[in-house]
Amino acid sequence: MKLKGEYTFDASREEVWKIFRDPDVLMMALPGTKSLKQIGENDYEGELQVHIGPIAGSFGGKLTVSNEVPPESLTLTVEGNGKIGFVKGAGDVILINQGDTRTTIQYSGEIQIGGRVASVGQRLFDSVSKSMIDQGLNKLNGILQDRTAVHK
Amino acid sequence: MTKHFIGERIKRNEDPRLLTGQALFVDDVEIPGMLHAAFKRSDYAHARILSIDVSTARERPGVVAIFTAQDMGEDWMPGPPLVSPPPTVKDVTFHSRRQAPLVKDIVRHAGETVAVVIAENRYIAEDAVEDILVEYEPLPVVTDLEQALAPDSPKVHDDLDSNLAAHMYQQKGDYESAKARADTIIKRRFYIDRGAAVAMENRGIIANWDEKSKQLTMWDTTQAPIPIRNGTAARLGLSDSQVRVIAPFVGGGFGPKIMMFYPEEMLLPWASKKLCRPIKWIEDRRENFYATTSERQQLHDVEMALTRDGHILGLKDDFLHDTGAFDPYGLTIPLNTQSHLMGSYVIENFSSNCTAVFTNKPIVTPVRGAGRQQGIFIIERMLDIACKELGIDPLEIRRKNFIPPDAFPYHNVIIDQAFSELIFDSGNYKAVFKKTLQMIDYERFVKEEQPRLRSKGKLVGIAIVPFIETTGVGPYEGARVQIETSGKVNVSTGYGTQGQGHFTSFAQIVSEQLGVAVKDVHIITGDTAEFHWGTGSFASRGAVVVGNAVHAAASSVRKKVLKQASKVLATPEDELELEDGLVRVADIPAKSISLGELAALANPLRGAVEPGTEPGLEATDYFGPQSGTTASGCHAMILEVDPETMMVDIKRYAVVEDCGKVLNPLIVEGQVHGGVSMGLGNAFYEKLQFDENGQILNASLADYLIVTSFEMPPHIETGHFETLSPLNKLGTKGVGEAGAIPVPALFAQALENAFQGRDLEILETPLSPNRLFELLQESRTTKEKSQ
Amino acid sequence: MNNSFNLSITVNGIQYEREVEPRLLLSDFLRHDLGLTGTHVGCEHGVCGACTILFDDEPARSCLMFAVTAHGHHVTTVEGLGSIDHLSPLQESFREAHGLQCGFCTPGFLTTLTAFLKENPDPSEDEIREAISGNLCRCTGYQHIMDAVKLAAEKSGN
Repeated sequence: MKLKGEYTFDASREEVWKIFRDPDVLMMALPGTKSLKQIGENDYEGELQVHIGPIAGSFGGKLTVSNEVPPESLTLTVEGNGKIGFVKGAGDVILINQGDTRTTIQYSGEIQIGGRVASVGQRLFDSVSKSMIDQGLNKLNGILQDRTAVHK
Repeated sequence: MTKHFIGERIKRNEDPRLLTGQALFVDDVEIPGMLHAAFKRSDYAHARILSIDVSTARERPGVVAIFTAQDMGEDWMPGPPLVSPPPTVKDVTFHSRRQAPLVKDIVRHAGETVAVVIAENRYIAEDAVEDILVEYEPLPVVTDLEQALAPDSPKVHDDLDSNLAAHMYQQKGDYESAKARADTIIKRRFYIDRGAAVAMENRGIIANWDEKSKQLTMWDTTQAPIPIRNGTAARLGLSDSQVRVIAPFVGGGFGPKIMMFYPEEMLLPWASKKLCRPIKWIEDRRENFYATTSERQQLHDVEMALTRDGHILGLKDDFLHDTGAFDPYGLTIPLNTQSHLMGSYVIENFSSNCTAVFTNKPIVTPVRGAGRQQGIFIIERMLDIACKELGIDPLEIRRKNFIPPDAFPYHNVIIDQAFSELIFDSGNYKAVFKKTLQMIDYERFVKEEQPRLRSKGKLVGIAIVPFIETTGVGPYEGARVQIETSGKVNVSTGYGTQGQGHFTSFAQIVSEQLGVAVKDVHIITGDTAEFHWGTGSFASRGAVVVGNAVHAAASSVRKKVLKQASKVLATPEDELELEDGLVRVADIPAKSISLGELAALANPLRGAVEPGTEPGLEATDYFGPQSGTTASGCHAMILEVDPETMMVDIKRYAVVEDCGKVLNPLIVEGQVHGGVSMGLGNAFYEKLQFDENGQILNASLADYLIVTSFEMPPHIETGHFETLSPLNKLGTKGVGEAGAIPVPALFAQALENAFQGRDLEILETPLSPNRLFELLQESRTTKEKSQ
Repeated sequence: MNNSFNLSITVNGIQYEREVEPRLLLSDFLRHDLGLTGTHVGCEHGVCGACTILFDDEPARSCLMFAVTAHGHHVTTVEGLGSIDHLSPLQESFREAHGLQCGFCTPGFLTTLTAFLKENPDPSEDEIREAISGNLCRCTGYQHIMDAVKLAAEKSGN
C-alpha cells in the first residue's frame, strides 16, 4: 500500500530534522505509541497500539533510520509484529527549506500488512494510516511551534 | 407394481429434524471431559520458524497441553497423497508435496498451523494462542503464476529446482496440421482467479481416544469418512476396526471437505490419543479462508483453428494451474479442465500442456466444478470471439459444431480425472440447446424486446451457453439394504451427505424396488461403523454410484423377498407384487404377507437357514463404473447493467438440465439453483483477493461477497431433458456441480451483448462492478474503432 | 473463571439461572450451556445470519451478543418454533417447498421469517426477498426459500 504526502511545518529545517531523531517527541506525537527507545545509533525499538476497524491491538517492532543527508533527507524503515499481524514498510522523507520558519516535508513510501489486520482491516487501512500520519504531523507541528515560541 | 417413487417430487425424510434444530452437526456433540483446541497460525506466507515460546501460554489456567511439531517427535509426518498422477497419461512430471499437522521449519502459506493449544474451553484456548510467541524469519513470497516459474523466483519447496509442481501433456489428433488447414486462427489469453467454497458450516473435528476400550471415535465434517478412518488408523498404528469416523449432518461440502488429512485432521486424533481425552476443534470463519482449500486460479494461452464458415478444426490450450503450497490432490482439477475444454463439440484435434505451479498460498483442491468451469469458460468464450471475427451468429456456430445425437458413445481420446478415456456416454446437445432457446424466448427478445429497450437507452444483454459435465466416476461405492421385522427398511452406505438429500433420494430407489413408503426407509450415511467400504462424495457421483449400489442391493433383497414369499404364499413369483409394505398376489389382494413378517420368517429361532442362503432379508452390493457418465445442460440469461454503478440486474434465467434419469425433481432443481448462485458468485461477486505477501485481503463475509437473495434472478426456470445413461441400471447422471459450471461464460457473453456498441472482450473471471468499469474504459466504441 | 455473573434468562418459555463469564457469547451460551444446538454459528461476525434468534420477539444475531446482555430478557430459538411432530406452518412450508438442503442456515431463516410474517402476514414477492436478504444460504440459491415463505403466508391466510 503506497503512502504519499506533504506537510508544511512552522519551523526551520534544522528544527524539523532534530525532531525526527528525537524519540521522546516522536512518541508524544504519533498516536498510539506506547513506547519508543533508541537502542542504537540509527535504531529504535517501540510499541504501537492501533485500531483499524474491528481490529485493535499492538505492534512491537523496530524503526531504522538510513540514507541520512542532514538536514535534507532520510529513509525510515519499520518492521513490527504483534497478535494482530505484522507490518513492514519503508519511506523516504525529503525536507524542503521554505524559509527560517517554514519547512515542507514530502514523504513517499510503501507499507505492507499481514495477518488478521490485513484480512479484516485492509479496506480501512488507507484511511486509518492517513489519519494517524496527519494527526502525528499536526501534533509534531504543535510541539515545534511551542519550541519556536519559547526560543523567541 | 403400480406406484412409482423414482422421479417423484417427494418431501425429504431428513427435513423435520433439520427444521426443528434436532439434527446433529459436529459442533453439537458434547462429551464429558471434552477439551478444546485452538491453533496458532502463521501470519507470514513464507517464513522460517526460528523459535516458538510457549512458556507464557502454558501458565494460563485452563491450558492442558500445547504441542508443536517438535513435540510430535517421530509421530510427525506429512499427510498422504490423495490422488496419484494419472498413470494413463504419458510422461507426466509430478512432485508430490503434502501438508503437515504442524509446521516443522518452514511455513509455506499464511494460515499454516504452527502450534496447538488444548484447553478447558475454546475461549481459554484462544487466549493462550495469543500468548504464544513465534519468532519468524520472513522469506520472499511468490504468489503470481508466471513469476513463480521465472528462474529467479523464490522457491516454495527449496529441495526442488523450481516451483513446477507438475506437468502433463494431452493431445487428440494433430493440432498443427489442423492449424495449417485453417482459414482463421484465434489466439487469446484468459485469466481465471480463485474463489472459496464458503459452506455455511465451517470445518470441525472431534477426536475421542478411549484408552480403556482402545477405540478412537471421530466426528468430522468430512465428505469422505471411510478414507479418513483408514488413513487415521494407519497413521496411529491402529487397526481399522479400532477407529470409527462419523460425518453426521454436514452444513455444506462443495468440495473442500473432500480434501483429507488437513493438518487439524491429523493433529487432533494424535493429541487425543496422547492425552487420553476427547478434543474438539471447530474452525472459525476467518480460519476457514486460510485453512480450508479453495480453487480456480489458472492462466490459459488458447488458440483455435476454424474454417471460415465456423467449423472448429482444432484447439490448443497451454495453461498454468495454481496448486498452492502443496499438491495432495494430484492433477484432478487440471484433468477436469482439459476434459471440458472441448465442451459439447466435435473437435478432432486438440493439444494441451498443463503446468501446475507451487505458490505461497493455501492448498488448491476441488470446489464445485473442480476445474470444469475453467474449461467451459474457455471454449465458450473462444466461440463467442470466433463469431465476431467470422461474422457468424453465436447460435449457428454452436449448432454447427455440437456432437450429434447419433455419435454416442463419443470418444474424446484424452484421459479424464478417473484415469480412463474421456468418453461421453449419451446426450443430445442440440435438443437441449433448442429447448433453452425456447424457454428464454430468445428470438423474440433479440428481434423485438432488445431493440425496443436499447432505444430507451437500456443496457440489456442476452446469453446462452451449453455445457457438458463429467460425473458419476468410480472407483465404486456400496450399500447394504435390510428389511427389519418392523417392516421398515435400513440402508447403510459409506458415503456422506452434506445437504444433497441422500436420505430421501436413496430411499426412493429402495421404495421403487420394495414397494415401501419412502418415509419407512431409513438411510444411514457417513458412519464407518455401519459400512466399511467406499470413497467419498465428490465429482457429482452420489446419485450414480451410490444410487446404483443401493439399487443393486435393493434388487437383490427384492429377489429374496419374492423367493421366500412365493414359498409362503404358495404362488409363483411372477404373480406377486410388492406394494405398501406387503407382498400381494396380483388379483387376490387378501392373499398377502407383510415384509416385516417375511423378515421374521427369514431369521428363524428354530430350524435352519438353508445352505447357500443368508438369514434375513438383507443384501450388500457395490457399483464400480468403468467410466463416468456425461451430463449436460444449457443456461440462458437476460440481464441489465446500470450504466452508472455497473451493478447487474438479472431479468430472466433459464436452465435445461440433462442428468439422465431424474430421481427427485425437487432435489435436482435445488441443486441447480444452488449451483447457479455459486456460479454467479464466481462470475461477478466472489474473488479471493491475495496480495503479494500471500495475505488474503477479504477473509471475512463482510468483504468476500456471497450472493444474497437480491443478486439472484427473480426466478430460475428449470427444464429437464433426459438422455439416459447406458452405463448404469438407473440411467442416471450426476447434477451436483452443474448449476455452477457455465455461469461465468454465460455472464461474459451477456455483458458483451449488453455493451454491443463497444469492442468489450471479456477474457477473465471473476469480474466485479469495478472491473467491468475498468474494462469498459479500455474498450472503444465501434465508431471509434473504424476511425 | 474470571468474574462471573448470575444470569437469569428465559429461553423458549423456560427460565434459566446460570453463572456465566461476561464475555460468553449468547450463541455459545445457548448451544453449549443450555444444549440448544439448533442455533448455528456460521461466521461470528454478524453477516451470515445463521445464529439469528428472537430477542424479545425481534430477530437478533446471537453471535454478536454477550449472554449477559440477555439478562432478564426472553429469547426464542428454533427449538421454540415447533417440534418434529408439530412443525409450525412455516416449518412445514419449508419442507414442502424444499427450502432447505444442508439445513445449517435454516434455523436463522426460520426465526427471522417467524418475526417477519407476524408483522407482514401477506407479503409481496419483493418484501419477502428483502426480508431474507440478511441471511446467507449457500445451498438453495434462495428460490425455494422464497417459495416456502409464499406458501407459509398462504397457509396462515386460510
